[in-house]
Amino acid sequence: MRKSLFMMITVGMTLASAADLRSAIEVPDASAIIAKDLLGPAKQFTMPKGCITDDKDAIARGSFIFHNLNGKKAKQNPPTGLSRKNADGKEKQYGNCVACHNIEGAKGGGNIGPDLTNYQEYFMKTGTRDNVYVYQKIADPRIDNPDTHMTVNLTTGLFTEREICDITSYIVSIKK
Amino acid sequence: MVSKNIILAAALVGVLAFGGEQFAMSDSDRAMYAEMLENNPADMDVESGSELLEEYCDGDAGLAKFLGVSEDALPNYIAGFPRYIDSLDMVAGLDQVIQALMVQNGHKPFALASADMFSMLAYSKAIANDEKINIDVNANKHMKEAIALGDEVFNTKRGGRGLSCMSCHSPDVIGSILRTQPLPDLGSVENKAAATWPAYRMTKSSMRTLQRRFQGCMNNALLAVIPLGSKEMVALEVYVTEQAKGREIAIPGLKR
Ligand code: HEC
Ligand code: HEC
Repeated sequence: MRKSLFMMITVGMTLASAADLRSAIEVPDASAIIAKDLLGPAKQFTMPKGCITDDKDAIARGSFIFHNLNGKKAKQNPPTGLSRKNADGKEKQYGNCVACHNIEGAKGGGNIGPDLTNYQEYFMKTGTRDNVYVYQKIADPRIDNPDTHMTVNLTTGLFTEREICDITSYIVSIKK
Repeated sequence: MVSKNIILAAALVGVLAFGGEQFAMSDSDRAMYAEMLENNPADMDVESGSELLEEYCDGDAGLAKFLGVSEDALPNYIAGFPRYIDSLDMVAGLDQVIQALMVQNGHKPFALASADMFSMLAYSKAIANDEKINIDVNANKHMKEAIALGDEVFNTKRGGRGLSCMSCHSPDVIGSILRTQPLPDLGSVENKAAATWPAYRMTKSSMRTLQRRFQGCMNNALLAVIPLGSKEMVALEVYVTEQAKGREIAIPGLKR
């Protein structure tokens, strides 16, 4: 009690101004964190050669990225060519596309984005969409829709070109 | 207490009525939720917050004095937070006011992220239970700046997936399903986020605050997490509180 009384007097004397009192409480800076974290402008990409494939492993990787959140949360082991961790040892992020999209075999699929079930049949064969559209959509959907609620996957550097190709190949593939 | 339970029950029915196989709440979750409606585990945090406030800040009276209002006016005044606080010359959250008051009373303030501070914040905000949120974002230039900054932060796309808060909390996606979770309307009568946090979070088995909840969304959506009490965080709180303006405060809330 006596100690706190003493402190009260000393503190009372040193905290003459609002700035002093403010500096005694937590007001951390967040602007630098946000500035470093900002998203670059919308970017148009060119689909690389040999991007769309019916290679089983590529489609399996695309599927895995689509249905899983990250290396730590994934229940099954990732297929050949995909790892749970990045080179720096941190857990690898996957697409978690299923959070917003339904598709064949989806568990707990969301409906924020369109249902991608039967994509080849409904979207490709009808000529509504083509590979380039799907590739760009996943890479940076803002080119098609500046106000999109969808994630940006290549401009952010979260995935490589090849991974975007794997995901695209999976979506346009014919599923059983 | 009774009226609080009715509000919560209504909110629960709203959630469950959503139904369908996409919704993730199991029967046992449901039973647990019902049990907790009767007996919110965070009531204990509020209780301990009351004791801490008494010990370190001279209780309600000390808080009222620091804020320059009568004890009678305190509930209504607290319902207007975050506010511009003269003695700090900034727009402050109630937790920062408690820190300042602790300092003034000669104590080392609890960290904003500490469980003790969460408890004190919960108790202090619960002083305003049944009051309607009356934040005034036009009260002065500081509040005007805060709401503008909050709007900006809420809408800024960033992080590993290029998302903003607005990606999932804009009017055109509210009610859609994100991996089994309906996207909540932060201002609605059922959710009224700013009026119901601090809340007991069942999935975390602990009481969390509104700013801590923001951090949860940032973390999940791969946005770099910004610290509690930063100007931007308080601005987000101002922005989200404005959305629940006029809603009755009911602390502690109970959330999935
Ligand atoms: C946060 C929600 C969200 C996530 C996560 C998400 N999407 Fe989308 N997606 C959308 C929305 C909304 C649209 C509707 C078009 C738009 O706004 O760009 C869309 C559109 C699409 C389309 C175009 C469909 C068409 O033909 O019209 C494809 C393909 C697609 N998403 C694939 C993906 C893939 C692959 C992933 C993961 C890497 C993903 N999405 C993650 C929300 C999301
Ligand atoms: C990828 C989607 C997504 C993003 C981005 C996102 N949220 Fe959320 N948010 C959700 C979902 C889903 C819930 C409900 C989760 C639940 O029920 O457990 C939620 C819940 C909340 C709640 C609690 C609502 C209640 O009922 O009390 C608040 C507050 C909130 N979000 C604020 C924010 C803020 C602030 C940001 C940006 C920093 C943000 N969110 C970004 C998806 C998102």
